[in-house]
Amino acid sequence: MEKQLQHQIAFYLTGRIDKSTLEPVDGRLRPALLSRYADLDSLRYDFPLVLNRLGAPGRAVLSLSRMVDHAVAELGENVDHERVARHGYRIEHALRKALAGGAEDFAALWERTTAALEREDEALHDSAKRLWKAFQASGELVDAGAALPAKAVRHAWSAVQTAKAAAFRYRAERLLLKLKNILAAEEIGSTVGRTPERLQAGVGSSFAGAFDFDAMSRILVAAKPAVELSDERRRRIGNLIGVLERQKFYALETDGAEPYDFAFERCADALDAYRSRHAEAVELVKTLAVAELEAKGEYREAVHDMIFDGFGANGLDAGELAELPDYLVCVDGQTLDAAELARIVELLAAGLPVKILVRTDDVLEPAFVAEGHVTFGLRARQLVNTAIGLHDVFVFQAAASHLFKKKDALMRGLAYHGPALFSVFSGANAHTGQIPAYLVAAAAMESRVFPALVYDPSAGADWASRLDITDNPHPDDDWAVHSFSYEDENLQSQTETIAFTLADFMAMDERFFKNFAVVPKADWSASLIPVAEAFQIESKGLPEKVPAVLLVDDEFRLQRAILSSRAFFEVQRCRSMWHSLQELGGIHNSHAERLLAQERKARAAAAAVETPALPTAGAVEPAAPPDAPASAAAEAAHGDEPYIESERCSSCNECVQLNGEMFAYNENQQAYLKNPDAGTFRQLVEAAEGCQVSVIHPGKPRNPKEPGLEDLLKRAAAFN
Amino acid sequence: MTEQTETISASECLIRMYDEQHEIEDYQKGVPRWCSGCGDNSILTAVQRLCRDEGLLPEKTVFVSGIGCSSRLPHYMNTYGFHGIHGRALPVAEGVKLARPDLTVFVNTGDGDCCSIGAAHWIHAIRYNMDMTMMLHDNQIYGLTKMQASPTSPLGLKSNTTPHGTYLEALNPLTVTLGVSNVSFVAQVVDWIPEVMYQVLSQAYHHKGFSFVRIIQRCTEWLPKLLDPWLHDRQRVLLLHHENGLEISPALAKSYTKMREHDPSNMNEAREIASAFDPIPVGILYRNDDVPCYEDLRHDSRLRTNSLIQKGLESEFDKFTIWADGNEPA
Repeated sequence: MEKQLQHQIAFYLTGRIDKSTLEPVDGRLRPALLSRYADLDSLRYDFPLVLNRLGAPGRAVLSLSRMVDHAVAELGENVDHERVARHGYRIEHALRKALAGGAEDFAALWERTTAALEREDEALHDSAKRLWKAFQASGELVDAGAALPAKAVRHAWSAVQTAKAAAFRYRAERLLLKLKNILAAEEIGSTVGRTPERLQAGVGSSFAGAFDFDAMSRILVAAKPAVELSDERRRRIGNLIGVLERQKFYALETDGAEPYDFAFERCADALDAYRSRHAEAVELVKTLAVAELEAKGEYREAVHDMIFDGFGANGLDAGELAELPDYLVCVDGQTLDAAELARIVELLAAGLPVKILVRTDDVLEPAFVAEGHVTFGLRARQLVNTAIGLHDVFVFQAAASHLFKKKDALMRGLAYHGPALFSVFSGANAHTGQIPAYLVAAAAMESRVFPALVYDPSAGADWASRLDITDNPHPDDDWAVHSFSYEDENLQSQTETIAFTLADFMAMDERFFKNFAVVPKADWSASLIPVAEAFQIESKGLPEKVPAVLLVDDEFRLQRAILSSRAFFEVQRCRSMWHSLQELGGIHNSHAERLLAQERKARAAAAAVETPALPTAGAVEPAAPPDAPASAAAEAAHGDEPYIESERCSSCNECVQLNGEMFAYNENQQAYLKNPDAGTFRQLVEAAEGCQVSVIHPGKPRNPKEPGLEDLLKRAAAFN
Repeated sequence: MTEQTETISASECLIRMYDEQHEIEDYQKGVPRWCSGCGDNSILTAVQRLCRDEGLLPEKTVFVSGIGCSSRLPHYMNTYGFHGIHGRALPVAEGVKLARPDLTVFVNTGDGDCCSIGAAHWIHAIRYNMDMTMMLHDNQIYGLTKMQASPTSPLGLKSNTTPHGTYLEALNPLTVTLGVSNVSFVAQVVDWIPEVMYQVLSQAYHHKGFSFVRIIQRCTEWLPKLLDPWLHDRQRVLLLHHENGLEISPALAKSYTKMREHDPSNMNEAREIASAFDPIPVGILYRNDDVPCYEDLRHDSRLRTNSLIQKGLESEFDKFTIWADGNEPA
């Protein structure tokens, strides 16, 4: 074995660098696939985001670049189209640069940036004005960073709450109006409402002298007695109005009381607030239900008093809670202590209307006990797994860089009737040097260390409809694979496909530099294999190949760095965790694959057996006996008895007027023969003759001594 | 028609559980003064059954009518009713629906009331497509005023106003209705097949939009024999059936064997069927659930608060106010 390879293998196994053949990795290197994004500000991408306060909740989170594109597209075939577009891209670039990972008021920053650019190009003023008009947005402009997850989720949450508040306000104000109208109507119709003074006030000043209001009052009071509400109902309506006006869950236009706050930093606070407001919440939900009944005049004391006395004893259900505001708790995944962790699980498990955001800044945090073992954002991961296990919690996991792409799922989670957990990786930590948080976040998702997932219990009953992992890049494969082009030493263009693995992600993090060693170009050989292909390395005996990642340095020169087995072990762990998530998401499901294998085997076995002969033709199944005509059967069943085809009766009253004892109407107001002995055969025959739709059949006479039978029997024959 | 399967809260559930169950008697009021044997009785029974089966609250249901035998129907319903003026049942019903979209509105009118004096309102009611069910009691005669020819009287019918027989071909209410824009539900039934009448009225009630049901009805007093050939020969009734229309029960299929499958979304076929009178086509001729309703187009989501009403009134009055200095204050 050559010396170089020996040293490489030695490094792989022990992590010790032989300085004569290997060089240590430092912050100047970054994964080759990231080389395209060296100057992120000059690229157009989703970020920064505008947390928009105008319009529907669907427009709560907007992307600056898309807004510019839309605004430009709206211009259509305008002569200024190209100029506005060019200026738009320029302003966008300047904004991205000025924001530099932070957050600022969109309007203010726009104003400042465009003012600066206008000094160089006067025509930009007009373009900026047009673009701004087309945006129809107002709010904060936020770039990827530590603050983004909390800001974005909180903003989206408040957009959902605003929509809820508007719906509640409309409902409460409608009910208040109706309830007050009931009281007002009683007063207007009462003796007090019909005094001469009140009547005069109602007519107005112009005709104050035209009527004798005393006489009018006397006539009105005497002619129409006052309709009074019962004391009980008046008291009840008064209470309903009181509760609706005093409630502090939402602000109504009429009152000035400050509503409750529903956003918290700690679960304990949220829980305390929920507990202390519970009685009021029950009271409000009950009031809404009773008020609806009162407004419709459908409240029946005998029935409803009983229902509403015990109201809320079993707590409120998800549908009822959904009308009230949701609680929002934003916590930092890194600093979560055991008590807080337990409380989050409790909150989620109790089905309370709480939306919890867990922000993670560092997914490669070293484990507490084992050196070199990484936790993969342990606490957030633990919470996500637990929450999915709780079955009815909406779970959302995404890197911050994907928040815009996943905004619909985010809004869905916030509008979900029940608890929801949002786990977001911000990408902002101190260990990745100059690499922007956006790239770190995106890389975490690409490398499978922080995969995107949505678990939506409202989407269906099974895993296939609930769990969605399709937003991950190449969800069917082990790793996300990209093509990578470079020039070789002869300046010829070369293209390779490279998988972005956890090893590439680790190479961005200073804490793991010691797990990598750069191999000088002269020593590159077939023994250096890509990490994605290294899983077949023979573990028995000495390995002959070493996994390596492609990196580029600050002068865009390609480098290869091998990694230690310690790091490679973590890559393996990351891959198997991804496999397990894939299985839940229905990709390469082991149960299904096992069944498929069995089925294939069984089919192969069946195909091997000689095909049995087809059954001989001619064995015809016995034909079913034809149905006897039903009407004939019905007639036979009645025999000589009189009968009526009630279903065909057109309720014309002929027969019931002829003899109400003999003929009567059933529950559908159609005639039946109530008592054939309550009248004569003559009446039966006359009814049959009078029947418009001929549904009366007189049968044979029950009294053989009735006079004139011979003639009647002849007449009856037509109807039997 | 199935209810929307949305989840409801426990309290809502409890409230609905104690909803009152209605009997057909809850919707009956008084003894009808129609002649015995009159087809109006059959229509009355069908709507009373419909109200009971749908659990309509009497105080949330309105029957509006014009003038004529047909228009006495609201008197016999224990719900709200409006016995209007001749030919004007529809504008009244439209006003009711516009002001109170929460009410269920039925309109009962006759061939004289609707097709003659009220024809203009009829045409525009179809176009407005407001959510209500209209029953055209078509007995082809003015009965209440004792036998004058109506627009649907058959050619040659002798009556008090046409002693030598009518000179004009009868108006066909079905083809007229099908010819108006925005038409959304057209059906025809005969008063002597109660099962079909009930089913069609039920579907008309569930249709969101203006449902036009022409009911061919016998007048036993003035035209006792006119419809006998159709009444007694079951081959002269053509039952229209379709999975999206009427489903024929086995018992009915034995009595009435003349049937035709007709898709109610097919307008051309509907017009062809509507033009024929012998055999009488019975069933749903046309249905389109996508036509918007006028009350939805004009829906104003603002609460009718006292201040809003006052503001509206003031602004209307201001248009007619003579200002002291000759100018409206800014």
